[in-house]
Amino acid sequence: MSQSRDTHLVPGGRVPGSDPGAWLRGPRPRAWRRLFDVGKVEGTVSRNLIELLTRKGANGGTRTALAMLREAVDERGGVTDDDRRVAAQVSGLPEAAVYGVSTFYDDLTQPRGRRHVRVCTGTACWAVDFDAQVRELEEGLGLRMGERSEDGELSLAETVCLGFCHSSPSFRDGDVVDAGPGALQRILSGTAAAAPEPEWRSVLDDPVLIRPGDYTGLRRALAELTAEQLREEVKAANLRGRGGAGFPAGLKWEFAHKAAGDEKFIVVNGDEGDPGSYIDKQLMEWSPELLLEGMALAGYAVGAAHGFVYVRSEYPRSKHALEHAVARAYESGDLGDDIYGSGFSFHVHVEEGAGSYVVGEETALLNSLQGMRGTVSARPPFPAEKGYHALPTVVNNVETLCNAPFIALHGAEAYAALSPGATPGTKLVCLNERFQRPGVVEVRFGTPMREICEDLAGGLKDGRSIKALQIGGPLGGILPTWKLDTPFDFDELAAEGCMVGHGGIVAFDDRTDMRRLAQHLLHFGAHESCGKCFPCRIGLFRGLEMVEAEGPVDRAKLEELLETLEVASLCAHGGGMPAPIRSLIAHFPDELGVA
Amino acid sequence: MEVFVDGVRVEVEPGATALEAARLAGKWVPTLCFDDRMAPFGACRVCLVAIEGAAAPVASCTTICQEGMQIETTDERAQRIARNVAELVLSELPEPPAGHTELAEVVERLGVGEPRWHGTVHEAKHDARHPYLVFQHELCISCGRCVRACDEIQGAFALTATGRGFHSNVTAGLDSGFQESTCVSCGACADTCPTDAITERFLFELAEQGSE
Repeated sequence: MSQSRDTHLVPGGRVPGSDPGAWLRGPRPRAWRRLFDVGKVEGTVSRNLIELLTRKGANGGTRTALAMLREAVDERGGVTDDDRRVAAQVSGLPEAAVYGVSTFYDDLTQPRGRRHVRVCTGTACWAVDFDAQVRELEEGLGLRMGERSEDGELSLAETVCLGFCHSSPSFRDGDVVDAGPGALQRILSGTAAAAPEPEWRSVLDDPVLIRPGDYTGLRRALAELTAEQLREEVKAANLRGRGGAGFPAGLKWEFAHKAAGDEKFIVVNGDEGDPGSYIDKQLMEWSPELLLEGMALAGYAVGAAHGFVYVRSEYPRSKHALEHAVARAYESGDLGDDIYGSGFSFHVHVEEGAGSYVVGEETALLNSLQGMRGTVSARPPFPAEKGYHALPTVVNNVETLCNAPFIALHGAEAYAALSPGATPGTKLVCLNERFQRPGVVEVRFGTPMREICEDLAGGLKDGRSIKALQIGGPLGGILPTWKLDTPFDFDELAAEGCMVGHGGIVAFDDRTDMRRLAQHLLHFGAHESCGKCFPCRIGLFRGLEMVEAEGPVDRAKLEELLETLEVASLCAHGGGMPAPIRSLIAHFPDELGVA
Repeated sequence: MEVFVDGVRVEVEPGATALEAARLAGKWVPTLCFDDRMAPFGACRVCLVAIEGAAAPVASCTTICQEGMQIETTDERAQRIARNVAELVLSELPEPPAGHTELAEVVERLGVGEPRWHGTVHEAKHDARHPYLVFQHELCISCGRCVRACDEIQGAFALTATGRGFHSNVTAGLDSGFQESTCVSCGACADTCPTDAITERFLFELAEQGSE
């Protein structure tokens, strides 16, 4: 399956025929109407901004501060104080809070020229030539990353993962993503061309995930299953979250169902920020219907009439693909009021991020969805109890929800049978450019990593050999080549200090310097820390300084720092960043230079 | 419900936190982002305690008590990691905290020595445009107490966190100083600040004179 190149993208312009604001005029969550009717807060002391926003109800507006600031950047190249004042007025956020938002997201802080070039510094792009393309681009354009030319014509910025990891290194010129051989030269000569799309395939004859959504699972559920039966089926299927944490989706649904609240929401985490991952990207672009069907099923199961997809801004095509799929679904009656005459109604809204990795954490995602700084909140309360507008909310990853249609149609037993003796269901993995045959592949849980890397992906190209793999994203441990027989599953990878995570597999070949890899990873970790909890805010920065300094790294001090991050961090970012560093200490101590 | 703090039985209301229980039991637990006039925030991570059955120490300010919970405030690992976090905080400041600040007290009671990390520190940046209140941005440890005091106690919403990661800080209005913001000069921010990052102008000038 392949999409014709850039049919719905015009560099720097709007999509022809699309109407991104259409949903604003459609049915809105009741909570909004109720909230907007409340009017101004009258001297009420708010416990936090979310509650303030909830009570104040955004002053009758329907746009978040973040959406308005992003629009200012897209249309006028930057955010001014006037933009901030208007955003505050319309969104209901205080001006100071809007200022805080405008300093948080990469998209809002990087200066933009009339031509804005971004270079991917994700791990898959790094693995090709260890950021040589960054230096060449800076030299060729005469700008450093984060700079804009004096005449305002050109700007250059860093972006972490454009999701073209099958064809690295990748670049974005306006909204055109170019990647792979020759891309750097085309960017330098101003002739960027859309990059080739990845291959996606399944080892199954009847794939669960690598298929177009046809709403048959939703049809069956609405006709034959009660909401309770559907919840029970998903619980029995033991559908574990595919975003990284692996929490059972059925339990989340049950918590949200049981939580008190006169309105509930489904929020899809489409902020696939893991460098080296392009699984959710392909699902959103090639099977958006499967996701919408999964969302509607979740909505039916928990009693939600509205769902949001939060898509990262690094994936401009994903947002458009989803918006088109939503429009088609309203036309065909697969979304909207009284779906298939069942009495169940479900509406979907698409929102865009603005450049932040930690926003992939569910509480940060909800903050961002409400237009605020994408910082993490301590749990409890969990989103299932108090989420969007402080109402019960299910936050599920894209791929997680794409499993729901199969379960609704075939049941938990058939789902478990897909991966005999292992975690039920299947998993999408994606392989980076270093492999002979990169792409997205649907595999059974329990498949040995060697089979994935050698049989399915054909080993590495250019006669190179695998030195190590990073599996599951930047918070995943590093598996050395001598442990390739480890099965791809939750417990087996955990035993090696690794994880299934979100399923990205980045191979590092025999040229890779592990000290430089540690620098690369901690640069990402420190840059993306949301800044809320102290260990992560300061500790990742100190860790980066330790591995960037000349000479040996004090092993005891580094391990003390990693333990502090693991135990004391508020979320999985600070808590998980030590995992790959621990792997490097364990497997490559000499190269890392620990003493 | 009843819980036990270092073996001492304490009666707490449902929904109480482990920190509240510890304080009821008369135990000292270090805190930097906590102020009992505001909702727990869970940012500083120095209020670590051990909970029986938990794999690792937890932040007591955001841990809800369960019936019969055993809370250990003197756990060796919890204290060592809290000390490491406080040490990291010292490492981001260009100078040791002034003796009268809450940070100085926490650091002293935890027994934090000279920080082992000698890296980048926050750059000095002062804003003394307001008649009563002064920002010393380099002393900000992003605990969020001023922002929350402004929101939750005063309801003026004049302050915000800024930036991200190590470069996080705090500012008023559109980074335009207190006088151009919705600040009502109540001083709640300076009152709660654990480091003098926001302080009263009078004290700031006294300190300036003292250092000359």
